[in-house]
Amino acid sequence: MKDSLEKFVQNNREEFDVFEPSPELWQHICRELPPQAGKKEAKVINIKLGSVANFSTDHFFMRVAAAILLLLGCGLTLVLVKQDSSGASTSIASVQAANNVAPELPEIEAYYASQIEKKKTELSEYDLKILGLDEQQVIDNELARLDSSYVHLKKQLYTTPNTDEIVAALIQNLQIRIKVLNKQLEVLQNLKNVNQELISEPKNDDTTNA
Amino acid sequence: MKKLSYQDVNHLVIDRCKSGDHRAQYELYKLYAKAMFNVSMRITNDYTEAEDVLQEAFVSAFKNLHGYKAEASFGSWLKKIVINASINAIRKRRSELVPLDEQQMADVPDEVNEDYSEWQVDKVRRAIQKLPDGYRVVLTLYLLEGYDHSEIGEIMGITESTSKSQYSRARKKLLEIMKEAQFAN
Repeated sequence: MKDSLEKFVQNNREEFDVFEPSPELWQHICRELPPQAGKKEAKVINIKLGSVANFSTDHFFMRVAAAILLLLGCGLTLVLVKQDSSGASTSIASVQAANNVAPELPEIEAYYASQIEKKKTELSEYDLKILGLDEQQVIDNELARLDSSYVHLKKQLYTTPNTDEIVAALIQNLQIRIKVLNKQLEVLQNLKNVNQELISEPKNDDTTNA
Repeated sequence: MKKLSYQDVNHLVIDRCKSGDHRAQYELYKLYAKAMFNVSMRITNDYTEAEDVLQEAFVSAFKNLHGYKAEASFGSWLKKIVINASINAIRKRRSELVPLDEQQMADVPDEVNEDYSEWQVDKVRRAIQKLPDGYRVVLTLYLLEGYDHSEIGEIMGITESTSKSQYSRARKKLLEIMKEAQFAN
């Protein structure tokens, strides 16, 4: 049999939780936790880009890798067939052609490089340890991987005929980097805001006292 | 506390926590911090102490996560840790919790009018906070955290019947405090 007090509490259970722990408590907890283990086995990195685009980079890279292999295959066949038909003169021609393959690319590269540099400088302004985040290594790994796949793609650019697709993949690669950096910046900005609120509270008290 | 489908929603996050993923740990923390903080607040009745308990409980939960076997929901597993840490905290603070039975047995009148139409959550909550430690712990574990008397006995190291009698005394005392509070208001 339930008495009136039990009923009353049950009906209003949620309203009894009126307290909130202070926001900096997580920082204290984080400091006591052992550093992240198992980084080596973390091969799949989920990057959340909002609720709409949530993809696993591994899948993405598998697709890019498959595309590269396909293009490489096609390219090689074409080059071999060409060499068979026209002999040594084509190799000189292809080197000359390489400079004309994607004339717009240097400009694009310069643009994205400056963007990425800007984001990286912004990122370096945050003290990651103070903010209790241990994710920088993951981000660095991710960027390094994007870097190597970029170099790989660029090599392909001069040996495969389908330059448009390669250039598109190169641009996409650069855009992903910016997204990764933006996401990290956003996370840090949120954390920083929380921290600033905490720091500014006692200061306000001081000024009102004075 | 919110009802969540623990097995589905949290088990991925919990797996990530097991490998020490700080972001996953933060996700779990955000999910449970408020509810657990209130559990600890009710038992310790002290904001600073409740925060210490919460910190200690989460650190210990993350360090011992491999011991969580998904028999119960993660929430109730965590809650046990929080409750134990809270009770330890008040035991350290005051020895008066230990002799539970000797505490204020005589001064509670038998009949108290139960006019709960006028009750307000805030009034009840504040009255609970005015209860002495021993009463408050048993009463909140039973009324708010939903444990039965045999579970409370286990948690507090007392018998089931002690928990029952302690609860009924606590309940009477609570109603008495509420009456006083009504006069005061």
